[in-house]
Amino acid sequence: MTSIATSIAEQIAERLTPYIGQFNSRMWVKAVARRELGLAPDEVTAAHLGTLLDGLRPSLSTLMGRGAAEDLLLQIRREVR
Amino acid sequence: MRFRWLAVFPLLYAAAFLLAAWWLRGAAPALALFVPGQRIVVRILAVAGCFVAASVFERGDHLRRAWLWLGWGAVAILLRDLLRLLPPFQPASAGPGAQIIVSGLGILSNVALLAGVWALARSWKMAAIELPGGRSGIIAVAAVTAVLAVAVAGPGALKNARELAAGDWGSLILFVSAVADIISLCLITPLLLTAVSLRGGVFSWPWGLITASQLSWLLYDAAAGLTPALGLRGFPVMAETFRGMAENYLFVAGVAQYLVIRQVRRAAG
Repeated sequence: MTSIATSIAEQIAERLTPYIGQFNSRMWVKAVARRELGLAPDEVTAAHLGTLLDGLRPSLSTLMGRGAAEDLLLQIRREVR
Repeated sequence: MRFRWLAVFPLLYAAAFLLAAWWLRGAAPALALFVPGQRIVVRILAVAGCFVAASVFERGDHLRRAWLWLGWGAVAILLRDLLRLLPPFQPASAGPGAQIIVSGLGILSNVALLAGVWALARSWKMAAIELPGGRSGIIAVAAVTAVLAVAVAGPGALKNARELAAGDWGSLILFVSAVADIISLCLITPLLLTAVSLRGGVFSWPWGLITASQLSWLLYDAAAGLTPALGLRGFPVMAETFRGMAENYLFVAGVAQYLVIRQVRRAAG
């Protein structure tokens, strides 16, 4: 049976999309994966989740404030696997 | 859906204002009371919107500072308009002390509003938001905006600069206001492109509504500039309509900012 599981990077981008749109959510995840991990988005695994979310924190905090950014990052950490 | 209603509110208000002004067109004393009265109402709404937006952030947050600058700028101009309703502060009868207070509030307001718009406009860079259109697209939008800003507010700035140079200190507030207008109108570019970049996400709403507020100020400056130039009698009402739209779009942008942050926290909670 072929796996159709969504990648970690796609799951994170999907959870950001309702807030910052599809364009920016993909760009942010791609940029942070490259900058913090030196990886392409589809190479990111569950083991990289913490680093990826930490890398997203500054941008999210600027746009929505630290409180809302922390809440959203906690939600993503809970739901993405 | 509620964001769409927020976007429509300033237009409905403008339509209601025009209707009321048309209805009062034959009654000059009533119109003279109505226009400044409704101006106070939209100033109060703008103050409320800015502080509602600031309230949803934590101390030290970048956007909290931006909204507080806008809020205090709106408070200063509200105070100026309230003082102007009192006989000692009215243009015809104000003494030098009253003039200084009124002018000082006007300058403070312009500087604070510019600081707020500046802080909002640089958020895209701080948040690493990818602006659409590439480098050439951004330059094209910036060039069009800058030309419009200078065309609309430039002649006034030049005239007031000449009067100031000739020793007319009463022109200082008008000069500062015109320069602040040019700079803040140029900042429409990053605000607009941030809103477009965030399309599809709820965060595009506050940015789009702030952009609409700035565009309304552009229309206000154009209408206010045309009044003496063309001697058109209806234009003071048009300028007042655009001023109301600008203040109301600031109000709804603040409310939208509050609502989107609440939405994130509720969904994540």
